[in-house]
Amino acid sequence: MQIIALDEHRFRIPRDERRGMRTDVIIYASKALIDQIRKDQSLEQAMNVATLPGIVGSSLAMPDIHQGYGFPIGGVAAMDVETGVVSPGGVGFDINCGVRLMRTNLTADEVGPRLREVVNQLFRDIPSGTGSEGPIRLSNAQLDEVLVQGARWAVKHGYGLEHDAEFAEERGAMPGADPDKVSSKAKERGRPQLGTLGAGNHFLEVQRVEQIHDEEAARAMGLRLNQITVLIHCGSRGLGHQVCTDYLAEMTAAMKRYNITLPDRQLACVPIQSPEGQAYIAAMAASANFAWANRQVLMHFVRGSLEKLFGRDVRVDLVYDVAHNIAKEETHTVDGQKRRVLVHRKGATRAFPPGHRDIPAAYRAIGQPVLIPGSMGTASWVLVGTERAMQETFGSVCHGAGRLLSRTAARKGRNAREIQERLEQQGILVRAETRDGILEEVPEAYKDVDEVIEVVHAAGLARKVARMRPMAVVKG
Amino acid sequence: MFEVIEHTADIGFRVTAPGPGELFARAAEALVALGFETEPIEEREVCELAATGWDWESLLVNWLSEVLYVLDARRLLLKRVEVTQISPEAVSGRGYGEPWNAERHRAKLIIKGVTYHQLVVEQRPEGWYAQVILDT
Repeated sequence: MQIIALDEHRFRIPRDERRGMRTDVIIYASKALIDQIRKDQSLEQAMNVATLPGIVGSSLAMPDIHQGYGFPIGGVAAMDVETGVVSPGGVGFDINCGVRLMRTNLTADEVGPRLREVVNQLFRDIPSGTGSEGPIRLSNAQLDEVLVQGARWAVKHGYGLEHDAEFAEERGAMPGADPDKVSSKAKERGRPQLGTLGAGNHFLEVQRVEQIHDEEAARAMGLRLNQITVLIHCGSRGLGHQVCTDYLAEMTAAMKRYNITLPDRQLACVPIQSPEGQAYIAAMAASANFAWANRQVLMHFVRGSLEKLFGRDVRVDLVYDVAHNIAKEETHTVDGQKRRVLVHRKGATRAFPPGHRDIPAAYRAIGQPVLIPGSMGTASWVLVGTERAMQETFGSVCHGAGRLLSRTAARKGRNAREIQERLEQQGILVRAETRDGILEEVPEAYKDVDEVIEVVHAAGLARKVARMRPMAVVKG
Repeated sequence: MFEVIEHTADIGFRVTAPGPGELFARAAEALVALGFETEPIEEREVCELAATGWDWESLLVNWLSEVLYVLDARRLLLKRVEVTQISPEAVSGRGYGEPWNAERHRAKLIIKGVTYHQLVVEQRPEGWYAQVILDT
């Protein structure tokens, strides 16, 4: 494979017609990251994405890219809405897996001495772990409301304050959701799981703001040094997983009718305007809304936990909430022309520039907040989107540190207690449902988040605003 | 028995069997065993399992997705799976296990879905072989 360095942070794999590629692959990385990225099959996967019908611009790879199934994780692909395809694999099983960042009026000095109490309280109040069930019992009709109203349903039913939903991408509810396009199996899987964290790489973290890089943007987001923030990383749980499963099955069968052949069956796709494509988009939006409701309910639980410990004066406000597994219809300028495209962000975050009408008024002068969690025990970042991202990457950047080691490799020669003790020596308390949760998410299993952030910042796709250091982690 | 496959973000398995029915049964058991400690699961309940497809690959993905649904939605952990009927278009069988009890059953891994990525189902001279990557 030929990789051409365009500058220090941009690399290009030219279109190879023999492989059926319709366009180039552009990779955002440093020289060191490219060497890591080449070790797995993620770039072959980005080349496979470049074969999809109706792809507009390039198949994009972010610096946190790693091997997924079908699409790489850390990939972005925009499809023409009239001639292009939609692929459930380009969104993933965990539809609207995403990140919610909350600021509090507590400081690290207040929370530090009571950190163990804090982590224990959160661990009690936040349902986590594989198959965990939440305290909310939804009727069929209520679940359908959640699928349409998203975070707003949660707020309306007492799981949050009026202004909470205002600061989520899509204000916590994506239009076009149709509960009738979500199977009864998916509903059955998701119904008991609203307000649960799940397991795997999902977590809740108590952090302190340790660096501010952009005073104006930080002020607009209400962030200041030494402040306590809380970050939630989770998604649409079993509901979204089943929606992806259902539509993958339907699309792999339907593809023959549309004469689509692919280098990898997991890329299964159909024309956006086909009945199957429209049904998937409506079901995906419903799943995304379930995820936004889920993160909203979890935020409400966090608020309750902190009030129990620090009194009713505790304030927990939403900084922002972003999706990093989603496909969205947006308008972008490509080669000087305005185009309607469906942007697949698989392990990638939307990063809209200042002035964009789809970001909350309070942030319109600074750009959309971009939330990038690190791994357990490493820093997380807040950035803001830029015009450059709009021009080059359909307003998208990376979503995290990016995995380096498989789960089995991460476990090898490691002991959960030792990891816990080592993190504790660094001032980070970890409570997890299982030992595997700690072992598999050990910081060494991930790339260096600071290096990933450096690339998107230096490439001009997003600007650094603040860096947060973890103090306590709750895991499934 | 099955072999675990290393994959950066995900996990997979390889199984072999003398025929397609046993292959599908072993694959179902491998999926459960990657998600849970299977030792404490007792065979107290029986559930019917069935799936359709249009070739062996799609049939296996749909069959394993059905098992995943039984685990996650019906919260029934399966110790043993048997296949009673199989063709490249349809498979049916039974799973034996018990309802998930958090005090006795330990989850190891959250499995989100069954992928087509690097999927193999084939008859080889020495028997039937399958390779499956799961999203976790």
